[in-house]
Amino acid sequence: MSADAQLKAMPSALTLHHHAKCSTTKARASTLDLPHGSVPLPIFMPVATQASLKGLTYDQLRDTGCMLCLNNTYHLGLKPGQEVLDAVGGAHKLQGWDRNLLTDSGGFQMVSLLKLATVTEEGVRFLSPHDGSPMLLTPEHSISLQNSIGSDIIMQLDDVIATTSPDHARIKEAMERSVRWLDRCIDAHKNPETQNLFCIIQGGLDLELRKQCCAEMVARDTPGIAIGGLSGGEAKEEFCKVVDTCTGLLPEHKPRYVMGVGYPEDIVVAVALGADMFDCVWPTRTARFGNAIVSAGTINLRNSSYANDFSPIEEGCTCTCCRPTDQGGLGLTKAYMHHVTAKETVGAHLLTVHNVHYMLTLMGAARQAIIEDRYPAFIRKFFSDIYQGDKTKYPEWAVGALRGVGMDLLED
Amino acid sequence: MDPSQFQSDKMTFSVLTSSAPVMAPRLGKLALAGRKTLSTPHYIPLTSRGTVPHIAHDMLRKETSLNSLYIGLEDFITKRNPSPVYNIPVTEDESPLRKFICATDDMPIILAPRRFPAIPCPPNNTDTSIAILTSVGFRQLPAHQYLDSIRSLKPDIAIGLADIVYGREPGVKRRAKMVDRTHAFTQDALERLYGRSVPADQKQKPTGTAYFAPVLPLDNAQQSIYLDDLQDELKSHVSGLALYESASLAQIPESLGDLPRLLLSQPGGPHDLLRDVSLGGDLLTLPFVGECSDAGIALDFTFPAASDVNGSVSQPKALGIDLWSADTAKDVSALSEGCQCYACRKHHRAYFNHLLNAKEMAAWALLQMHNYHVMDVFFAGVRDSIQRGTFEEDVQSFSRMYVSELPQRTGEGPRLRGYQLQAGPHKRGPRVYGRLDDVSQKFAESQSSVATPDTDASGLEHHGFAAKV
Repeated sequence: MSADAQLKAMPSALTLHHHAKCSTTKARASTLDLPHGSVPLPIFMPVATQASLKGLTYDQLRDTGCMLCLNNTYHLGLKPGQEVLDAVGGAHKLQGWDRNLLTDSGGFQMVSLLKLATVTEEGVRFLSPHDGSPMLLTPEHSISLQNSIGSDIIMQLDDVIATTSPDHARIKEAMERSVRWLDRCIDAHKNPETQNLFCIIQGGLDLELRKQCCAEMVARDTPGIAIGGLSGGEAKEEFCKVVDTCTGLLPEHKPRYVMGVGYPEDIVVAVALGADMFDCVWPTRTARFGNAIVSAGTINLRNSSYANDFSPIEEGCTCTCCRPTDQGGLGLTKAYMHHVTAKETVGAHLLTVHNVHYMLTLMGAARQAIIEDRYPAFIRKFFSDIYQGDKTKYPEWAVGALRGVGMDLLED
Repeated sequence: MDPSQFQSDKMTFSVLTSSAPVMAPRLGKLALAGRKTLSTPHYIPLTSRGTVPHIAHDMLRKETSLNSLYIGLEDFITKRNPSPVYNIPVTEDESPLRKFICATDDMPIILAPRRFPAIPCPPNNTDTSIAILTSVGFRQLPAHQYLDSIRSLKPDIAIGLADIVYGREPGVKRRAKMVDRTHAFTQDALERLYGRSVPADQKQKPTGTAYFAPVLPLDNAQQSIYLDDLQDELKSHVSGLALYESASLAQIPESLGDLPRLLLSQPGGPHDLLRDVSLGGDLLTLPFVGECSDAGIALDFTFPAASDVNGSVSQPKALGIDLWSADTAKDVSALSEGCQCYACRKHHRAYFNHLLNAKEMAAWALLQMHNYHVMDVFFAGVRDSIQRGTFEEDVQSFSRMYVSELPQRTGEGPRLRGYQLQAGPHKRGPRVYGRLDDVSQKFAESQSSVATPDTDASGLEHHGFAAKV
């Protein structure tokens, strides 16, 4: 396995403009120009798994400021299927979204949704969850499907295994196979001028493997780079080490995407470690369970303590739900959300709007802080809000990770 | 007869067409102080827990023309006492109910004791209360509590308490009781809400709510004592009539003809609506709209029916499109040709077919917006037609142009909550857990015979997901 196996020069359908770099941490603020508009980085990308963001109309999503959201290749491949995607003219046209789309390769869903998947050199063998028929998903299939979907960023098919796997040989095999599959993906990619293929760095929690993988994949010069295989239940310390190690080896001029992350705390720290892009179903999923993300953490609006709470979900929040009516918002109260949440679909829609807006606003504020070179202060305020200023409660992994990039979270 | 006008403190209802007061289609304007004016005939959108199902508040404001809300008090009764809706801090003139559900200031709010359609309750109504279904179970709603709610929640219109039997035909004795109780409820309500005989120290602040008195779904003769009283003693305080079946439209005494008539019935589709309008219905309820949205059916009709280009009608058209149908999988046309609703401006049939198959909530949200838009255009057409004086002919050509029934439901809808379930045998939907059991069994079988099962290339390639090895 070596970099001179590289088959063709990679065109790129994106440009990355750097605006600022934090003078303490590795955080970066930039703008990513994609075929369907400019995306401010760092960014959180909400997940519209099946070409729909959980009941929201795309104008509601647009109102949150979202410029880039995810679709899942695995789900769109099963429903509506490639034939329909081709007939309709791709996923943008299917769902009526004229901003950017990113699709994952389907490999992660294969492993997380199907315990019955087996990976061979050819591809992932599995049984269709809908009719039980055995199938083989190869890197070529994944790219072909993503070409039909027409997403602005497409992901290579990678060999995903749980980071917590004790089988080191298997982790190494998966890393090396992911590199070989990347070559097959590059080769199969039909639209490099309009769709940006991102490689996915694998290697489990073994930093040596991660370094090797970075070297191999960076040499293949994809327009962007993802760090994969995380968010699988590994310790946060390990997660931070992997992100920190990888970003140290990645070229400055390419966007870095940490897949499947996540919680606001993880994102704020990962940004300090030099990552740019994040996605997670958590903010939208938790909304459907009645949880609202607020600066003090999350609150479950189904809790009866909110039944008579007539304040907005979060005071000062500028989302459509929380903004008072005299500022053009809906002026919704916690009491009303308690009244409809988990009882009416509208309750899920509204909380989803709030949570997506919260995540995007958080990223916007982080970006502004980086531009004004006060990101360390931003992080301190962020943690202080969550833990009500009680530093003894700060998570050790965050303190350690930030210390690694030259910042003391516990400092005043 | 000249156009009539009914006026109370807060509400004006003007009948614009000069025609017989009952049993004929009529145009009207219902004006409530500070609220949107309703041109009648029109429909009243039904709500669940203060929302029009599936339509988030921001979409409702920006992308629909819904201009009133029907709200059942039972949706707001909780285990806590008092329920949260009564506790929201408001200024003197604000309606706590309006504020609680975050409705705009100009939205007319119509409060009724029960949701519509109401679900039959096992407990019986009593002389002083009616049985209701809350999200925490069956309760009795005492008449005085309902009156207190009208007074404190300040809806624009309140529908009076009635002793209605749901889910079965009442017997002779029960019918007599229905009349007696409803009569007593109405008398008591009007006296307590508007009466003069109440001693000053006990008298509550006069209410700004217009009271719609119920007319029972019974023969005229059976409730004549009550209707007589409505015409005489009670008339001064009644601002409208709430009817529970279209047959009641034919029984309204002429002297009550100037009152707006709200019909709480379950029309099977547009043909029934046209009949109700032709009998003089002013405000109508359309449970079928929400049912169609849940079932994945997009309504597709206009009134008057667009005349066929070829002159003759070959085959009656369907009243809606079933978007579960595989025929729509690749169809990139709008739900209805030329429709200007949000869903049709932004999306095509193929997307709806996908959303329904994927069980995505957006399907119901978008369909609900479309279906209500179709009804907006339909009622505007009805009003124009009455105005032009061509209503009767238009109804006839409409019934020639379209089939009589809405499309059959074929697909699954959203998961239903207890308080949304209709009477009779019902299914909440098939079991979803354990559906991989079958798959794992197949997998085990295939694993035992062949080490790595080969893909069925043709079938799976068609699926586009994974194929040829």
